Amino acid sequence: MRLSDWALWVFTIAFFIFMILPIAVVVVISFTSAGYASFPIPGWSLKWFARIFEYEPFMNSLWVSLKLGVIATAASCLLGVPAALYLSRSRSGWATAITAFMLSPLSMPMIVIGFASLFFLSRLGFGVSFLSLVIVHTVICLPYVIRTVTAVYRAIPPAYEEAAQILGASRLTVFREVTLPLIRPGIAAGSLFSFLTSFDNLPVSYFFGSAQTNTLPVVMLAYMEHQFDPSIAALSTLQLVFAVVALVVADRLYGIQKMTVAT
Amino acid sequence: MLDAVKNSARARRALLLAPALIFLAVFFVMPLADNSARSFLTEDGGFTLSRYAAFLTDRFYLGVILETLILSAAVTVISVVIAYPVAYVLVRKAGRLSGLIVFLLIAPLLTSIIMRTFGWQVLFARRGLVNQWLVTDLGLLDTPLRWLNTPGLAIAALVHVLVPFAVLSIASVLQGVDRRLEEGALVLGASRIRTFFEVTLPLTVDGIGTGAILVFMIANGSFVTLVLLGGGFQTLPLLIYQQFNTTRDFALASTMSTILLVIALACLWLQLRLLRRQGV
Repeated sequence: MRLSDWALWVFTIAFFIFMILPIAVVVVISFTSAGYASFPIPGWSLKWFARIFEYEPFMNSLWVSLKLGVIATAASCLLGVPAALYLSRSRSGWATAITAFMLSPLSMPMIVIGFASLFFLSRLGFGVSFLSLVIVHTVICLPYVIRTVTAVYRAIPPAYEEAAQILGASRLTVFREVTLPLIRPGIAAGSLFSFLTSFDNLPVSYFFGSAQTNTLPVVMLAYMEHQFDPSIAALSTLQLVFAVVALVVADRLYGIQKMTVAT
Repeated sequence: MLDAVKNSARARRALLLAPALIFLAVFFVMPLADNSARSFLTEDGGFTLSRYAAFLTDRFYLGVILETLILSAAVTVISVVIAYPVAYVLVRKAGRLSGLIVFLLIAPLLTSIIMRTFGWQVLFARRGLVNQWLVTDLGLLDTPLRWLNTPGLAIAALVHVLVPFAVLSIASVLQGVDRRLEEGALVLGASRIRTFFEVTLPLTVDGIGTGAILVFMIANGSFVTLVLLGGGFQTLPLLIYQQFNTTRDFALASTMSTILLVIALACLWLQLRLLRRQGV
């Protein structure tokens, strides 16, 4: 190997140590036997995992976050899949503009979306409620569904659907038997990103916090501001494991190739 | 007749778009418009520019805007400089290891911002791992350093969140570079370093641009890292957060979020222009 190649590899390895170390440390701390968060840990135990199941605010907010993620993702699919089907087959200038508009919630500062929505939804009478959370989360999840479904559907030649139509299939049959199975990987990938985004969101959910609507990240933030114990580490580790498992399952079902096309 | 059929088919197809479009118009555009409108309204409903005038002439608030932009720019430059060599290794050198590298890049994206901040707090605590290395193990320092609440650590934490986006953007453009152009330069006698700076780097400027804008946009709106790790920064998102929590001057917060929104829109416009040039 050349010297420059060595330098590049050393740099890359240093980079990944930088990337992985802060995360790995948290995973290790979640198994600590100590009563405080420090590294290296004095011994191993599972007590902090037990603690999060005993601490009611964590469990209540986890339930809120799970419900919210599922409902916002379902709403995003209902709104986003038809829109994506339309937009991917249209090459006109304004279809490009509309696609850009529909993806634009990704580019707006989350804190502004959260702050503005709180006031607007309060004026509409929704206020700080679970329904408000669902609405705002759908705004930020919808782009993921539209993006992945558009990418997948664009790669599918229209000939498949045309063939089915010529052979006498009705519009609905073509959709059910041809289009839907072909775009399923896009819907799966979009739903996965959408759910993970909703589940992890803090800057928007923060504005809609109340005893009934606190999501898990909001409760974790509040907890961290007062205490610094390893239960936050245990929760984070569980969340990471959950995300990795979801990604691996989606990969097994639909293949990493199609998933990366979609991103 | 045929036209009428075509038109009704087109109308029916447009119905596919309508629900999403209406939803975003009502729950995305209207809240933002409503929020901006509030910043132009006086107490009794009249129109005023006084908040912006006050904002843009006040030394403190001008400083806040400037600090927001400088912090985001610094994070962006650092991220791009770090990301380029990694993207280069990923595309050109990694071979069979590229799968592993992509996995290592994506894995941190699956972790919450809270988890990462927690990790930084533990690593850089007064009796944390880093101070222990520096003082006890390596003996480089006599007394432990104070890392938490320093600007440097906050910037490092922001880079940690944003650099994978820069790597992925640059890698995707690097992948498309026609290697025959580089071979041509080499055959014609250019050194490897000259080939890189005069052929490869200019060909990937668009990727650097898209990556940089993406990082800049996200950095501009981020505040959770700064709330938890400190660093003494006064940025627009932090101030909005504080206005909401403590001072509760909502009209001022609306003014600040409108300014933040305008910056975001400018970035979005630049990004779309760049993407169009790349023919995406």
